[in-house]
Amino acid sequence: MSSRARAPLAALAGLGAAIVAFYGAPVWTTSAAAAALGDVPPPRFSDGMVRFDRAPGEKGYWSLPSASSLIEEGVSVKMDARGRLANLADASRVAPFQPWALALYQYRQKNDFVDDPMHECIGPGNPRAMLTPGGIRIIQDRNYNRVYILYGGGNHGWRVIFLDGRKPPDPDEVVGTFYGNAVGHWEGDTLVVESIGFNTRFWFSNGGLPHTEALHLTERFSRPSHDVLRYEVTIDDPRTYTRPWKSAWTFRWVPGDIAEYYCETGRP
Amino acid sequence: MRVLLMSLMLSVAAVGHAQEGFPLDGTWRGQRVAGTDTPVTIVMVLGWDGKTISGLIDPGPKSIQITKAELIPEGWRVKIEAHTKSGEAISFTGAIGKLGAYDRTITGTWIEGARSYRVRMVRE
Repeated sequence: MSSRARAPLAALAGLGAAIVAFYGAPVWTTSAAAAALGDVPPPRFSDGMVRFDRAPGEKGYWSLPSASSLIEEGVSVKMDARGRLANLADASRVAPFQPWALALYQYRQKNDFVDDPMHECIGPGNPRAMLTPGGIRIIQDRNYNRVYILYGGGNHGWRVIFLDGRKPPDPDEVVGTFYGNAVGHWEGDTLVVESIGFNTRFWFSNGGLPHTEALHLTERFSRPSHDVLRYEVTIDDPRTYTRPWKSAWTFRWVPGDIAEYYCETGRP
Repeated sequence: MRVLLMSLMLSVAAVGHAQEGFPLDGTWRGQRVAGTDTPVTIVMVLGWDGKTISGLIDPGPKSIQITKAELIPEGWRVKIEAHTKSGEAISFTGAIGKLGAYDRTITGTWIEGARSYRVRMVRE
């Protein structure tokens, strides 16, 4: 937090409410000073829209994901921080694999991820980037109706989500990318994002879960409290999985800034 | 120098096409070899739609449609069937090697009519 921002915030906290102009007309109300103390309501813009990033005068980002790999919601299996299963026999429970996909997942697990593209500094793609250490920021650009997600890990990449009502591109025409083509909309306080158009140059989760170009992600971002971001993703890739499936985890709000970091070969 | 530059460009292009999805997806190139015969280049383009593997052998004016293809995860074995323009049966059975690499291989036996060939295909 800059000293320029901190001074007015301290004064406003004393009044019990803050109104700080930022990005046009948005406003930060109440909880600024209390935010560091624990779970308080999330900050909002003046029109009531929830903020996913720092409020004016704040410094922080999202990190410490509660999961290390995608795993179907409701399933409990032990795995380490890299997504390596404690018991390979649990592999079939992680997701509703097609037979080839299960065999490939097991192959990668057994080989201790030696072929992981991230070892060569190839980007994590989405949603693996949401699990990569380094933290994320979610910047709401309300002037252009876009959301930018900045990733502190992997290749220090970023992605854009269009909220301007545009239609997603034709899946047969789109050139596949690591983050796909994303369009979003709001459902109450939840940002819902649909992404298609992925390439297959990356593993889309720690642990080596496979995917194809048919991957379609539906992500739901919500901030139930100041310090918690809930992330839910539905994976629909009928060439890899027998049915759509969902995974979810949370992030914690971490005071400070994302540190500088660049991938170097052999050290993802 | 020109050859060196071209080689470098091709190697960069190959790395750029790494593919981590369905193991057979993509273009495969190799040679069928039998005895002292001059090796014959074979190109296969394979694709997976979630239920069926389809593709072409030697795409172009003389392309051959693959009629049946199968990937057996146990041992990563591959079976491909087709018919030449003259109606001879083609059967290719092999196994994927270097599964995790962008330039993975299929090594096996190509039977066309009454003749049998050794084949090693490399994914491009």
